[in-house]
This record gives sequence, structure tokens and C-alpha cells, in this order.
Amino acid sequence: MNKVFLSLIFTTILLASCSDDSDNGPSIDNPETYSFERNGQSTVSFTGQTTRIQMAEELISAMMDFSTSEALQLEMYRNETADGGDANPYSDPALNADNKNIKSKVAASRDFFFTNTSTSSIIKADFEEWISGQVNKVFPNENTVAAPGIAGQIADGSSTRFVNSKGLEYNQLVAKSLIGALMADQMLNNYLGTAVLDEADNRASNDSELLEDGTNYTTMEHKWDEAYGYLYGTSADKTNPNASIGSDDSFLNKYIGRAENDNDFAGIANEIFEAFKLGRAAIVAGDYTIRDQQAQIIREKISEVIAIRAVHYLQAGKNALPDDRDNTALYGSAFHGLSEGYGFIYSLQFTRQLGTDLPYFTHNEVNAMLEKLMGDGDNGLWDVEPTTLDELSEEIVAKFQFTIDQAAN
Amino acid sequence: MKLLKICTLLISGLVFWACSSDEEPQVNTDNFDRGAMLANWADNIIIPGYTSYTASLITLDEASAVFAETSTIENLEGLRSAWLDAYTLWQKVSMFEIGKAEAIALRDFTNIYPTNVETIESNISTGDYNLELPSSRVAQGFPAIDYLINGLASDDALITDKFNQDPKYGTYLKALTSRLNTLAQEVLQDWETGYREAFISNDGSSATSSVNKLVNDYMFYYEKFLRAGKIGIPAGVFSNTPLSDNVEAFYKNDASKILFSTALDAAQGFFNGDFYDGSGSGISLDDYLEFIHSNGSSEDLNTLINNQFEISRSRSQMLNDSFFLQIENDNALMLNTYDALQANVVLLKVDMFQALNIKVDFVDADGD
Repeated sequence: MNKVFLSLIFTTILLASCSDDSDNGPSIDNPETYSFERNGQSTVSFTGQTTRIQMAEELISAMMDFSTSEALQLEMYRNETADGGDANPYSDPALNADNKNIKSKVAASRDFFFTNTSTSSIIKADFEEWISGQVNKVFPNENTVAAPGIAGQIADGSSTRFVNSKGLEYNQLVAKSLIGALMADQMLNNYLGTAVLDEADNRASNDSELLEDGTNYTTMEHKWDEAYGYLYGTSADKTNPNASIGSDDSFLNKYIGRAENDNDFAGIANEIFEAFKLGRAAIVAGDYTIRDQQAQIIREKISEVIAIRAVHYLQAGKNALPDDRDNTALYGSAFHGLSEGYGFIYSLQFTRQLGTDLPYFTHNEVNAMLEKLMGDGDNGLWDVEPTTLDELSEEIVAKFQFTIDQAAN
Repeated sequence: MKLLKICTLLISGLVFWACSSDEEPQVNTDNFDRGAMLANWADNIIIPGYTSYTASLITLDEASAVFAETSTIENLEGLRSAWLDAYTLWQKVSMFEIGKAEAIALRDFTNIYPTNVETIESNISTGDYNLELPSSRVAQGFPAIDYLINGLASDDALITDKFNQDPKYGTYLKALTSRLNTLAQEVLQDWETGYREAFISNDGSSATSSVNKLVNDYMFYYEKFLRAGKIGIPAGVFSNTPLSDNVEAFYKNDASKILFSTALDAAQGFFNGDFYDGSGSGISLDDYLEFIHSNGSSEDLNTLINNQFEISRSRSQMLNDSFFLQIENDNALMLNTYDALQANVVLLKVDMFQALNIKVDFVDADGD
């Protein structure tokens, strides 16, 4: 007891001394909303992130449009033709006019992939394999009832899902894996890392408010905003995005909203937004300690959301497995949940463990988990055992501060 | 004797208490006659329900054949009346999605709405369709027939014209009524040829026992189809704005209330064990809760739940016969009814399940 009391006192003293420090540092003007101006003009810009989220939206809806071709879907992923020419695959002309693309930013963060292009290229190719699988294996079986070893359609409540021969929905794999490979990786392991924020003379130019040519922002301000854009790039009110959190995209924004709506995690959306806002204000004030503390909070919370959703869908899939394992018509809800779970597990390799340069689960560890998920029999999810889903859930929660029950409901 | 009973109660209380940290309720410690309750459900409610329902579908199938052959306004009216009769009787059995009904997904092939007009028209014009596919569920059943006989054109003469001009409409109509008939027959026959006995003899209290399964099916139906499907979704509870065209029997327009009130009565009737033919009442959840209550545990849930059913009924009685018009004109009354239905979710799904030591075996899918 005394020890606890003593350590409390020490902590208090430490905290007090810390806050003394920041009092002595630059004073931070933390606004109510994500609004930052210089000379009466906004300094916030993340149009490239908005563009990529919109491109990803078009890609995942094309994957469910049986009239689209493999070539068109791959063009949506690469924004170029198969031979590298200019492509116009999107329905939105503004996206066609843009030369940005999804693929070059998949598994492309400075911290994780700068010297690991071999893994990056494997991950980039996974998405192409899923897109091709959808068109070549699932589309031809549009009007076939799915069965073990046979791709086709299957009922999930009043919805109809389309799965491959092992029960996986390729469109869910793409959508949920992009949350990690594109949004989280770029945010946590690229733009919020010091390798990018402090690259070259970014600190000096930020301190002296040296603006990028033709813009109203410093490089460091812009890098931070680009991280922000991968979560809030399509928000209804981009300065106050939590007003519509969860309904602004089909990716990270959507699932921050889902976590927020679970009483066990309520408040998490606000913590993430406040960290983004304070971190940006700290950059304006030149306080890089506070900035990096906020980056850590964002890394921790975003990683946690991905893990929560992975466990959530593993458990949802487990609970939806039919009592009668021989009735192949009743697997649709389980397959849908587990296909989402597959994508969130895939995304775990892009999370970021506090104080390290590592994800919570490495590429190889994630591959092992996915092999386990698909490995209870020859037909993948048709054969999956509830114990396997529990073991995978336990493996994930062991590295986080939440329980399976908290994630499951 | 009395002492022995008290001792047993005490001991089972202790066992129960010792096991209660285990969150999977499996061991049933009461000695309520679950088998008698199952027999009452099967013999006095479920099988008579499917018997009437299938009979009404034979009438509907005949009426659709008559109309397809001779597409007059008179035959159209006869067909509509047969359709509404069968649709109403469906409301009394929709909740029993167990056994063969579960295996063939009877409810989803019978009554998914809103129906998909584009798919229906495409099926009719190409003649290339497979009603057994999950993706064709939105183009069959009562809602698709509703479109064909009430929504195809703006008045009766124009509807009959369509059927007279293009025999493909009649062909599709007959395919739909015939499929409804086939599916329901399959379920009734299963009950009559062995499933009844299997259902009644599975009288334990494990997660796969008949009581635990059917009470879960009942709850799922109450939440998802009675509360959400008929009231909550069209009233906009789950969306940014009301979805008035998502009401049941949208094209008929004035039937949504009668279908709902039939379903509500059936849900309460099942809870109380009321015989299908109205001649009496047998053992059901009301008695089970009374039994638990008289043994000293829990609140008087039987009364609370029945009272809440009455509140739902009295609020819904204020609604227009057409829920579409009700939502368009005064959605607050719809929401008011929804709230009453929702209050019973808590009593049924939390309190009753706990009192009966039944674990909820379904989760709300998050809908994406």
C-alpha cells in the first residue's frame, strides 16, 4: 500500500514537472475544430486523400457490379491501363482527371516498406489477385448456389452474398484490407512518423513558416493533414468530422464509427480527433514533443480499432455458424462476418505498437493467422471450427487492453 | 415431502449459484414440464397454423390460375382476396422458423419486402429465372405478387390489360403462387411426418433443445420482422429519413395495418399458448414465467409482458390502415408504436431469457 502511495506521489511529481516543462515551451493555441489559418486563409489540405478514398469506393462497388470487367477493376486500382497508359475507369470525371491512384500507396509507408519493397509488392499483388478472383471465379457463378468447393451466391438474412469456393467474399477482402494497407499504413507509419514529419529541414522550415511553393502551408503541416485526410477525407464537415463519424466512407471512418457506437469503446472517436487537432496545433506552435505524443495516441487508437473489428467479426462469424453444419444454405451470415474478419486480420500488419517500429502482428504472423482461419479443412470457411475462431480472437486480444466480450457485442 | 422439496430447491439453488459464474447457461434446474409446452405449441398452434396457411395457398394458387387464364377485373378481385387471406394467415406462422422452415429459409422466400420491381420485370420479360436462388428472393413471395396484382398499373382495367396483352405476366404469377405453395407444403409435411415427435421429444434445456431454439426464433422474429420490418424500418428508426415505401404490402396500400395487427396478436397468442382455433389456451411461456415467479424468483414477467403487448396494441390501433399514409402524414404515431414494441424487447429478450435461463443465440448483423 505504501509503495502504491509513494509511486502515486512520484507520478504526481513527475506529471507536475512535465506540465511545468510544457508551460515553458511554446504555447499551443488548440482550436475547437480542425481549422487552421494563416493570413486569413486555411492552411489545411488533404485533397489527395479524399481522392483515394473516393477511388477506393468506386473500386469496391465495381467489384459487386457483375457487368464490369477485370481490366476495368484493375484500372480502378492502378488508375492506368494494363500497359501503363492513362486510364479513365471511374464514373466521377474528377477522379479520371486525377493522376493519383490506390495501388502506389498500398503497403507503401516510409517506416514499414521503404526498405521492404519485396513485402510491399506481395501485398500490392494480393489486392490484384482478389480483384481478378472476383471477376474470374465469382462472376461466372453469379447464378450458382454456393457450396463447399463451389463459388456462387448465398443468403445472409435478406441480403445475397457472393463467395469464392472457400466461402470468402473478395469484395470484403479488398475493402477491409485497404483499411490497413492504405489508410492505416499511410497514416500511422508514414505521415505521423518522424521520418516523414521531420524529413530534411522540415522542422526549420516549419519554425520559420517557410511555405511550400504556391501553397499556404509548411511541409510539416501538410504531412500531418494528409494523415488526417485518410480518416476524415470524405467527412461531411471536414473541420468537425465526428458529427457524422461512421457514415462518411466504407473504410476507416466507418469502423471508427462502429467502435464508437459500442458502449465499451465510446469516446474513442473523440480521443482520435482531439489528438489530430492538438497535434496539428502543436505543429503550428512548433512543439514537437506534444506533436509526437498525439501521434502516439492516434497510432494506439487506430490500431486498437482494427483489432477490435477483427475480433468482432471472428466472433460474429462464430455465432452465425449454423447448428446444422450440413445445411450449406445457412452459411451466408458466417461467411460475411468472417470475410470482413479476414480483411481486418490482414490489416493488423499495418498497425503500430507503441514505442516500436513494429506492427502488433507482422506480415508473417498475419499470414499464419489467415492460414489458420482457412485451414480447418479442404474447403476453407465451410470447414472452420468455432475453436479456431476463438483461438484467433484470443491471440489478438492478448496484445491489447480489451476483451473478446467487449469486442464481440 | 415438503422438506425434501425445499432441500432440493436449496441444493439446486446452490448448484445454480456455483455454476452462475459460468456464463453459458446450460443446466436447467427447474422441473417445469417443457415437453407439455412443446406439445401444446406443436399440436394446438404450429401445425394448425400451417394447415390453414397451406389451405389458403391452394386457394391462392387456384385463383392465380383462373386470373392468368381469364384476366378479368372480377377474377382480379378474387385473386386479391385470396392473396390477402393467405398473406394474413402467413403472419400467424412466420415466427416458427424452425426445422424444415429454417432449413429451406421459408420466411425469406415468402416475404422479403420491399420487392424488386426491376428484377421482377426482367424475370418476366426474359423468362430466364431460378426462383430457388437467394438473389431471386426479392422477386417472389407475397410482396412480388402484391406488385403484380396491385402495382402493375394505375387502375384495375390497365392491370388486366397487361395480363391480357402479355401472357408472360400470368406465367410468372402462377410460378410465384405455386412456389409459395410448394414451400409451405414441404414444411407442413415435415411436421406431419416425424418432425412433430422429434420437436416434442427434444425437451431438454441445452442450446439446441426445442424450447431454447424456438424461443430464440420467436425473439428474432419479434425484433427483426415484427418490430423492425413492419414498423421501425418504414418509420425511419434505422435511417436518416422515413422509408414509407418500405411498408409491408406497399402496392395494396391499405393492408399494412391488418397484417401487422394479425402478427402482433399471433406473437402474443403464442406467448400465452392460445390455441390457433381460439377454443382455449394451453401451456406456454406465460405459464413458464408464472412457474418461475411462484418459486420465488424474478418479477411478475407474465403480467408485465402481457401489459406491454396491450400497450403496443392500443397504440397501433390509432394508426391508419395504410402505414404508408400514416408515415407520410404523422410519423410520430408510428414511432410511438415502435417504442411500445421496443419496450417489450427488453422484457422478453433480457428479463424472460434470464428467468428461463435461455441464452440468446443470435446477434444483430451490423448490416453492411
